[in-house]
Amino acid sequence: MTEISAKYERLIQDLRQDFRPQREWGEGRGLFLVVGHFLVGVAAGAWLFGLLFAYQPGLIAGFLLAGAGGVAHLAFLGRPERFWKMARHFRTAWISRGFIGLTLFLVGAALYLPSLMIDDWMWGPASPLAGLGWLMAAAGMVVMIVYMGFVYSASKGIPFWNSPLHPVLYMAYAFRGGAAALLVEMAVFGAPGNDAIAMLLKIWIGITAVVIVLFALELQGALTGGNPAARRSVRQLLAGRLAAAFYGGTLLVGLIVPAVLVSGRIAPLGLGALAAIGLFSALGDFFMKYTTIRAGIYLPLQPRRAHG
Amino acid sequence: MRWGMVIDLKRCIGCYGCQLACKAEHGTPPGVFFARVLKQEDGQYPTVRQLSLPVLCNHCEDAPCVAACPTGASFKWEDGIVDIDPDLCVGCRACMMACPYTNRYFNDQPQHYFPQGMTPYEEARTDRHQQNIVMKCNFCRDRVRAGKPPACVANCPTIARTFGDLDDPVSEVSMLIKERGGFTLHPELGTGPSVFYLPP
Repeated sequence: MTEISAKYERLIQDLRQDFRPQREWGEGRGLFLVVGHFLVGVAAGAWLFGLLFAYQPGLIAGFLLAGAGGVAHLAFLGRPERFWKMARHFRTAWISRGFIGLTLFLVGAALYLPSLMIDDWMWGPASPLAGLGWLMAAAGMVVMIVYMGFVYSASKGIPFWNSPLHPVLYMAYAFRGGAAALLVEMAVFGAPGNDAIAMLLKIWIGITAVVIVLFALELQGALTGGNPAARRSVRQLLAGRLAAAFYGGTLLVGLIVPAVLVSGRIAPLGLGALAAIGLFSALGDFFMKYTTIRAGIYLPLQPRRAHG
Repeated sequence: MRWGMVIDLKRCIGCYGCQLACKAEHGTPPGVFFARVLKQEDGQYPTVRQLSLPVLCNHCEDAPCVAACPTGASFKWEDGIVDIDPDLCVGCRACMMACPYTNRYFNDQPQHYFPQGMTPYEEARTDRHQQNIVMKCNFCRDRVRAGKPPACVANCPTIARTFGDLDDPVSEVSMLIKERGGFTLHPELGTGPSVFYLPP
């Protein structure tokens, strides 16, 4: 069976099911969307904490990750050569807003960063052009943190995503990803001050606690909200085809391993352990996005219900 | 003017005539179904019955796919028909996630029905369709503008489908909905579908 006919057969099987899984976002080329959303979230968080800690490597990482996230988004599109048309419908479409935010961020960061990094650059960090870049990047960062969750919660066809908690969860994950990226960077390149790493670790712990509560609330809401498709999505996560990725990636790698490392029971909380916390945390964030996107199941169209 | 369709579930025999007529009209590739028929068995032996539910794009008044589309490729004509401009679609598939009726398809592979390759008929038909974009039913807008009913309506052997103006209170569709208690799928979502069903 060729790849094309296998895909066709799977679609036919899916169409016969009451609970049809979404496959366009997260499978095949759709994996690029998951990667893109993960990278853009981490990029925005890294830029935010880079600004808060006045930490240049954080800003550079934010810029590079956002660029890579943009490339991943392009790789996902069916017609990437038309990408610029995505700016057209910003009044209602969150993808359009996200595209504008990412563009603002990349252009702004490209204006601001060289003035910080290169001594004899054409304009200095206090120049109006650098100031404009800072503003554009900051505005873009806010949009990048906010938009992703709304892309999913605006999906009326998929009840598990169509929850008011989803955008808040994605914002929290962007903050957690940014803190994780800076933990790795500070462990590798050095911290900007004596207390910076300790402060960042406290922030990471606080955000992680918020993420755990939000995620638990979202799962509980989906299980008790009365929508069978949302319940089915949670079952896919907890005991279905995504359980291995959810328990292994999101919970074990993303939460339990970093928590054990933070406790200092395996090894003293040195720079190596901090880098590992950041890396495991980021990997767990990726799995969280991957599993929740893959768990999307369409609202059923049941003849039985229609017939009464 | 708001085009709409009424499907009488009492008349529908689940023959797939609508699905085939649509395929013939639009030449959609394998894996793309503008019209399809859902079937389910209900009850237990010896009182089993088969249920059929023909589905297609609902051409919603407040179409979530139009709101979710970042390029404006999904749009609504002034007569209520929701359509896709193939030259604007970037293939992000946000509309597919937004549609609660799962009636949008991504045309991502060069496909044909027979192992030998495309037939001349398929070549002529599929030339109209761009690859790597989303496709959906447009109520056969070209036919409707020419004064003909959509292909699925014209070819239904049991005359289970009726097409007309929902804004006209004395049109056949409006009267059927009123007299027979027409209902829509997922009314709780507030999308305002233009496809109504009559109970069996």
